[in-house]
Amino acid sequence: AFKLLGFLDVENTPCARDSILYGSLGSVVAGFGHFLFTSRIKRSCDVGVGGFILVTLGCWFHCRYNYAKQRIRERIAREEIKKKILYEGTHLDPERKHNSNSSN
Amino acid sequence: MAHPVQLGLQDATSPIMEELIAFHDHALMIVCLISFLVLYVLSSVLMTKLTNTNITDAQEMETIWTILPAIILILIALPSLRILYLTDEINNPSFTIKSIGHQWYWTYEYTDYGGLIFNSYMLPPLFLNPGDLRLLEVDNRVVLPIEAPVRMMITSQDVLHSWTIPTLGLKTDAVPGRLNQTTFTAMRPGVYYGQCSEICGANHSFMPIVAELIPLKIFEMGPVFTL
Repeated sequence: AFKLLGFLDVENTPCARDSILYGSLGSVVAGFGHFLFTSRIKRSCDVGVGGFILVTLGCWFHCRYNYAKQRIRERIAREEIKKKILYEGTHLDPERKHNSNSSN
Repeated sequence: MAHPVQLGLQDATSPIMEELIAFHDHALMIVCLISFLVLYVLSSVLMTKLTNTNITDAQEMETIWTILPAIILILIALPSLRILYLTDEINNPSFTIKSIGHQWYWTYEYTDYGGLIFNSYMLPPLFLNPGDLRLLEVDNRVVLPIEAPVRMMITSQDVLHSWTIPTLGLKTDAVPGRLNQTTFTAMRPGVYYGQCSEICGANHSFMPIVAELIPLKIFEMGPVFTL
């Protein structure tokens, strides 16, 4: 598997690939844009690197936050499906309780 | 179990290990970006033609490179502490097993519903069957149920050992004269391997741990008690 800098497994880590790609795009846009306005090569490279780090971090946190929310939702859904299968037709059926509450 | 030349963590079999893998990914991305920045600054400094021998202070830069690492450390510490406290939660375990480390084997005691006690020795290479894993297989595996919280009480009879199963996110020291507790809930059935993780003498590398996780219904029928 391809590992960035030899240790970051971009393929198998959720959100890593998107973050690195968006970061690269942000780096090119920021660096090239700075160069177009200022014609300073070294400073544009610095801006490009800074842009890469900021955009990668921003995408990473945003994606991981949504990924964590999705995992929690998946876990809740799994538990509820198990409960539904286990208690269907009994007095503990969550759907039955919900229906009786709504009919009252 | 681990595969050859593996660098990363094993796949998770418990919710705690999932959290640990997520935290590992988070910390690794931050570390990767810091490494990238340091490499860039290093190459930039090495290749520059600009030299100024009269720099006396750089207040703004010093402020930035003090506050920014502090923020980064907070971003790493908060999820770390969260997982630390998650691992210490006792979630009403339904089953307790004792694991006692010896030189150089493990003893397991199932005393909740009877007095089952057995030793778990590594299988020497000469006794392996085709397909068995060298230095990992044991004669008696510890059989545990899945989807039920299990409590492991770990101690040692002689020197320090450490009871480890990486895929479950478990590593607990076996200290003589002390009882350490760890709890876990496994999500998937299977056979999971670990090795003693505290140097304990000549055969420290040859006292593996093998956990056979089976569905709760089959566990309740008592296969583990037919030894």
